[in-house]
This record gives sequence, C-alpha cells and structure tokens, in this order.
Amino acid sequence: MIVPIGPIHPALKEPLRLKLQTRGEKVIGAEIDYGYVHRGIERVMEGKTWQKAVYLSERVCGICSYIHTQTFTETFEKIAGEEAPLRAQFLRVIANELDRIQSHLLANSTYFNTIEHETLFMYMLSLREPVMDAIELLTGNRVHMAWNVVGGVRLDAKEVHLKSIMNILDNLESQYARYPQMFEHGPLLGLRSKDVGYMSKEDSIKARAVGPIARASSITEDLRTEKPVYKDHLDFNVIWRGEGDNFARNMNRFDEVTESIKIIKQAIENLPEGKVRKKVNIPAGYADNRNEAPRGEVAYMIETNGNLIKNISIRTPSIMNIDACARYMFKDVATVADAVATYASVDPCIACTERVTIIDEESGKVHEVNGLHNVKSINLK
Amino acid sequence: MLDSLKDVIRKSSIHACLINTGGCNGCDIEIVALLSPRYDLEQYGIYFHNNPREADVILVTGPVAEQWKENLQRIYAKAPNPKIVVAIGACPLSGHVFNQEGSAIYPPLNEFIPVDASVPGCPPRPTEILGALLAVGPDAIAAKGRQKE
Repeated sequence: MIVPIGPIHPALKEPLRLKLQTRGEKVIGAEIDYGYVHRGIERVMEGKTWQKAVYLSERVCGICSYIHTQTFTETFEKIAGEEAPLRAQFLRVIANELDRIQSHLLANSTYFNTIEHETLFMYMLSLREPVMDAIELLTGNRVHMAWNVVGGVRLDAKEVHLKSIMNILDNLESQYARYPQMFEHGPLLGLRSKDVGYMSKEDSIKARAVGPIARASSITEDLRTEKPVYKDHLDFNVIWRGEGDNFARNMNRFDEVTESIKIIKQAIENLPEGKVRKKVNIPAGYADNRNEAPRGEVAYMIETNGNLIKNISIRTPSIMNIDACARYMFKDVATVADAVATYASVDPCIACTERVTIIDEESGKVHEVNGLHNVKSINLK
Repeated sequence: MLDSLKDVIRKSSIHACLINTGGCNGCDIEIVALLSPRYDLEQYGIYFHNNPREADVILVTGPVAEQWKENLQRIYAKAPNPKIVVAIGACPLSGHVFNQEGSAIYPPLNEFIPVDASVPGCPPRPTEILGALLAVGPDAIAAKGRQKE
C-alpha cells in the first residue's frame, strides 16, 4: 500500500510529497515528489551583474542563506584570481559557524518534534535564540544577512560586538553539554532513534550523501579542512560516527555545534587587523567553488563575461541527502512514524533542493535541467 | 448571549496552518522561532498544527509557484469557516526579488485567495509576525463568525 505524506502535513515544515510504500505497517520504500517551490533562480540570475544576483543567491535557502552568498562571492574572487583580505576571511568564518550552529539546533529541534519529545524541541529552540542574537550583532540581520560582497564583507565588526558574541558563546557552552547527554542517555529517545533508518558506508557513497548525514555513516570528509583559512589558522576536529542511524545523525550535529563554538572563539581571539573589503576587477572566465554548508557540500559554477553572469549552476547538499533517505534509509523502517522521523533526521531543506523536469507534451521528450549548459537552452515561460 | 460565548471561544483558541508556496523558507523559520520559549506563541492561545482541515488562521509565505496556482484554492476551501489568511513576508505581496524576467512564479497571492492581512519584510521579525497575528487574528475571526450567522 502507498501512504502519501504531504505537501501540507503536520510533520513537514516545507512542501514535499513523500509516497511511502508499506507492507503492513512496515515501510519498505519511498518515492519523493519535488516541484512545489520551484522559482527558477538560476534562470533569473543569467544576464545580471553580481550586485543584482547576490541577493538572489541568498534567497536560494533561508536556513543556510549565509553560505550561499559566501560561495557565490568566493567564486567571483576565484575568477579574478584574488582573495578577500584575511580579516574578512576570519569574519566570514565567524558568521558561517554561527549560521551552522543555528541550523544544526533547528534541525535537531525538528527531529525531536517528529519523535514527539517536546521538551528537547523547546530546549533546542531556546538555545537557538541567543545564537540568532549573535548573528544579528555581527551582521545586522537575523536570517538574510546581506553581508558578503565580492572582495570581502560589507561591514567591519566592532570590538564591543565581538565581546558580546563571546559572552553569548560562553553562556551557550556552559549550558550546552547536558542536552546531548539527555539525548544520548534517555532510554525512550534511544528506542526511537537507535537502529532506525540505517545507512551503511557503501550506500552513502552510492547515494553521494554529504555533510553530517554522510559523516554519520563513517565518511570522514569535511570541506572545511581544505579551505586555506581553516587549514592555516584554526584548529578543529572533523566529527564523524559509525552507526549510520537516526541517533548518529543527530549526535553528529550535536557534536559539530561544540566544534563550531571552538572555531568561533579561536577566530575572534586571533582576528587580524586590516581592511575588510578590497576592489576586485572581474575578468571574463569560468570558475567553480565548493564550501561546507551546514547540510554538506554546496557548489557554485559560474561563467561570466566580466560584467554579466552568462551561466550559473548551483548544487545544494539536500538533494543528495533526501535521495539517500528515500533510497537507502527507507529500506526497512518499522512504522510510518519512524519513517517520518528518519526523513526529519536528514535535515531536509526543500527550498534549495528544488529542481524541474520539463516534459514536452507533443513529443514526450524529457528535459532534465542539470549541469551548467542545459540551463541556457530551455525557456521556462 | 450565544454570540458572545462563541466570540470568547473563537478568540481564545486559534489553530494556525502554514503553507509555503515557494519561498526561501526564511519566513518559515521565523515562524518556527515563534514557538520557542522566548516568544511562546502558545501562551496567546495560538496553536500550530499545520493541518488545513482544522485551521482558523492560514499563514502563507512565498511567491505563488506553478504547483500552487490551483492547490491554494483547494486548501482554502478545506479550512472550516470562519477563517482568515495572513500573508507573511514580501513574496506573497509582490514576488520580491524573484519577480523578474525568467522566473516561474505568479504573485500576488490575493489573485488566488482573499488575504486579510499582510506582514511585509524579508523576512519579518518574529515579533512583527506575532504582533500582526494578535492584532488581526482573534477579532477578525470573531467578526467573520458573526457575519456568517
């Protein structure tokens, strides 16, 4: 039997249709329907200058909006063969890690909501609010920060703001340790999460899972280790676990928050003096650039003629993770409620995942819009 | 007598349903932040259920994407009377940054369903959403309930 869930459903924050194939109450497979939030951002970006497109790149996704602008501007810096000033790079690290903390706390709160543990759900949301305050202190906005520009960041951080961010982080760190322990040792939480939605290492490679979801299945990749500013100036560990179930995915996010707090503290203490923005002359050219978003790897491929964007393609992490969830995690889940919890544990973000398939009614020919050069050839309207 | 009793009940227990019609989910996470202990939506008797069949308030975010052109009316019809629609963010008003040549969106929202209140902003702060909900929600629902009778 097929149980449809969504697009409007109490368990889902964003519209998506999950078709769960069930035998009795057991879930044996799933099919996923996208297409509810497709806006055509890549198409709109074409033929615009970067100043006009950077706002659009921010609005690909609301939860991880920061990393999209960072990757977008870094791609242009890469085309020009230049780097932002070191102070700007450090400030970008601080904002990125603050964004990661709030995203991970939100993801875990959503998971606790779906397994109906409202206490932890509320704890996570109340931990998240001070972090949103810190983001607002640093950049001036809660969600869409509009802070990155090609060649640096828009505003310098003031000493007094950095001090209050340090205070917020100290408070967070002192309270934080008990919540992962509550999750780790709570007997009911363990029963609902351990050995549910298992994905092996081989499966996660086959599904091309990224981010905390892959790292919970024994993959030790983290793109931050390859970024020069993280590699040379900051000391942190890549968190990974071997269990590959819902429990591991949430614990992985819990532990990454601790690492992020460590990184921000180091970055604020060692923040170099200097400018935060410099002029970058952009030549014609092509570059691709990858970054570690809260959910995994986000890649931008941009072709420009020096002024306008000729072609752009954005690859976001959630599409691989949701696919991994549908193909490999839903193989053997005991109940539909557990399946919904498994779906929430991969931290799905539909707004950045959206893709479109165009079917020509007359010939029945299917255009799959992916890669850099297909975008240009298809007119959506 | 019966009317005033109904008014009290309608004002004190409001169920809300959130529909994302293609936004970037920035507004959605600000609505989730409303549930947090700092803002605590439930102390005002507003309960988030995300189920249109028992909703009094329908919150709509996002410019209207292709799939929602017909589905919005169906969802609106499913909600029981009296009901109000609150549009959250700049997208349902105008399409915001997405409303440019080449995009696949169909704003504004009030071409599809009647909108009672709008909260502009990208995204509006949780306090603004809360303020709008409390300002327009209880009284409008009670007033609409009286009209029908």
